[in-house]
Amino acid sequence: MTAAAAIARARARPARRARTTESLTGWAFVTPATVIIGLFGAAPIVWSLVLSFTNDNGLSSTSAFIGVRNYKTLIHDPVVSQAIEHTIVYTALFVPGTMLVGLFLAVAMNRKIRFIWFYRTAAYATMAISTISEALVFIWLFDPSFGIVNYVFSLLHLPQQQFLNSPNEALYVIVTMTIWGWSGFAVVIYLAALQGVPQDLVEAAAIDGAGRWATFRRVTLPLLSPASLFLAVWLTINALQLFDEVYLSTQGGPLGATTVLVYYLYQQAFTTNFDFGYASAIAYLLFIVILAVTAIQFRVGRRFTFYRS
Amino acid sequence: MGTYRMKAGLLCALALAAATGLTACGSGNVATGNSKSIQIWEGWTGAEAKAFAHLVSEYEKTHPGVKVSTLFVNNDNTLQKVQTAVVGGNPPDIAYLYGSWAPNVAKISSVVTLTKVVQRPGVNWNDFWVGERDVATVNGRVIGVPALVDNLAVVYNKTLFAKAHLPLPSPNWTWPQFVADAKQLTNVSIKQYGTAYVTPGSEDTVWHWEALLWAAGGTILNPANTKAAFDSPAGLLSLNTLRTMAITQRSMYLDPTDSAYANLFNSGHIGMLVTGPWDLSGFPNVHYGVQIMPSFPGTTGGHQTISGPDNWVIFNNGASRVSTAENFLLWLTAPAQAEYFSLHTGDLPIRASVGNAPSFDASMNQALPDVSTFISNLGNVHQARPQIATYPQISQVLGTMVVSVLLGKAQPAQALAAAAAKVNQILAGSG
Repeated sequence: MTAAAAIARARARPARRARTTESLTGWAFVTPATVIIGLFGAAPIVWSLVLSFTNDNGLSSTSAFIGVRNYKTLIHDPVVSQAIEHTIVYTALFVPGTMLVGLFLAVAMNRKIRFIWFYRTAAYATMAISTISEALVFIWLFDPSFGIVNYVFSLLHLPQQQFLNSPNEALYVIVTMTIWGWSGFAVVIYLAALQGVPQDLVEAAAIDGAGRWATFRRVTLPLLSPASLFLAVWLTINALQLFDEVYLSTQGGPLGATTVLVYYLYQQAFTTNFDFGYASAIAYLLFIVILAVTAIQFRVGRRFTFYRS
Repeated sequence: MGTYRMKAGLLCALALAAATGLTACGSGNVATGNSKSIQIWEGWTGAEAKAFAHLVSEYEKTHPGVKVSTLFVNNDNTLQKVQTAVVGGNPPDIAYLYGSWAPNVAKISSVVTLTKVVQRPGVNWNDFWVGERDVATVNGRVIGVPALVDNLAVVYNKTLFAKAHLPLPSPNWTWPQFVADAKQLTNVSIKQYGTAYVTPGSEDTVWHWEALLWAAGGTILNPANTKAAFDSPAGLLSLNTLRTMAITQRSMYLDPTDSAYANLFNSGHIGMLVTGPWDLSGFPNVHYGVQIMPSFPGTTGGHQTISGPDNWVIFNNGASRVSTAENFLLWLTAPAQAEYFSLHTGDLPIRASVGNAPSFDASMNQALPDVSTFISNLGNVHQARPQIATYPQISQVLGTMVVSVLLGKAQPAQALAAAAAKVNQILAGSG
């Protein structure tokens, strides 16, 4: 029996019974996903909240409820404030950086030129490449002695840099690395949005005497604003959770210069203190920060976002 | 109608199956229900994985009814995975765990005490190197059986020494000679460095320095492990030696990635490396030699080195599985198996009797040139890192101290004082 026939039959039956069956089917469809999300998403969220009020060390089976002590420690922990600072600097550079690079590439590729499929694939390839290969390549590119970047600097008679060996530069190398990695994602989003910009509006602007820049600034850019808001929110959430690149390239160093919040909580839970309670408290701090930042972004963003109806 | 109902019912059943399937995955274990089946988490790769698999299958052949299933886990992550598994009530029967974790591992309630097991007749516990036994023992309680042992020595590029017209390092060489050689071997124009140092600030950064501290006659903590003892003339001497190469001479390649140095040595860009036997197989392109660590003239430390043994640890999944796991481990670490594993991997023998056997050195050197120096160097291991639960925190402080000196961000004296103050704080906090 085809699905359509089944539906037709189901409709033919009294309405109440049909609705019951329908809702049962609905539940049947959503249950697996709900169970999985509940088990692997919601349960750990609740459990880590409980953990954050204990001194659980993940090793011994005994752990005591210690109230808000973890949160008090957190406020006075100098490494936490440093980690927050690094996270903010990183986010402030990474999010606009990725959006600008993505926008530039998307505009450049939003035209009919030869081999455009190749350029578009190449731009997106950065998303497909695994973080570990990306990190390895960047480590060698930015190697102070043997890297290409310093070689190019020497050709341009620029001073040689220490990059990942320098506490003042390492974070910026990671910013560069991740902008490169995420720009492909921004390109795809912006390209899709650019395809949705109606040509008649662009032509109308041209007829009204607007130059190319003015058209872009006054017509195209506002029409891209929903995409921009989405990217800003999405990239910010990702930036605040930065971990992989730090783990793979600097392990939080040199001298803690790239220790961001998630890396610090990882250290607290798994490498130095085995303090699951404290790590959970840091995770909840981050959760609240992400919630607040996202709420602000949506509030402020709505004012600058232009939705065509 | 029937079909429609059945479809809905089927979906419900599927959902239920998915839900129960998940819980089944959570508690599911290859070994569940069979006391003769045990699971091991190990991180062997390459030749080690092959040799280990061979030993496991040999054990199964000679012990009918016993099933040993192995699961590869990257060694760096084993403890955190074990922690999760313990919380989930389903730890492996045996896990390979780094020695530096031992004091924290001892806190896990399901870790099996092996103090009496290793005293059984035929085990010959004292045949394991003293450094290994120290690391397997926490406060007098044996929590593991030695799985691997290594130590640090100097691996040097013979070709680069010849080009620089330098005599090769001798067994009674000194750190001032090492520093002078490093300078001679450095040639900025062809990007050649005298030596290298790993600077991620992790334990790998720290133990390289600890060997220097001990050689200079210093210790990390006081004998009671209650106060820092490294802020001493020996500490200063060790850090100044590193600083001379990293800052004054610029003869030291600093590697924050902890991996680049090996490739650079293998491509002839680095003259001397302080490293362990595990790196030797990665140097097929250079003509290398191995020498024991230099000494500091005028100090009592001699040619001391540091050893980083790792343990096999048993977790309690019921008495019969514990007994199966114990029997397997005792067999695995018995002389015959220890010898087989070393000869097929180039790893140092975990037992002295194996290492001291005649012609053993020669067979080892055939597989890996000069690896025998690392074997005899086990005799230069005189002390172990502090076996206390706060060591990982102390290690982090020490890592920062060493890196801050190597990057020129702090003077050795001030770095030592600052680190000592922090370490004392950690020790006081832990009670």
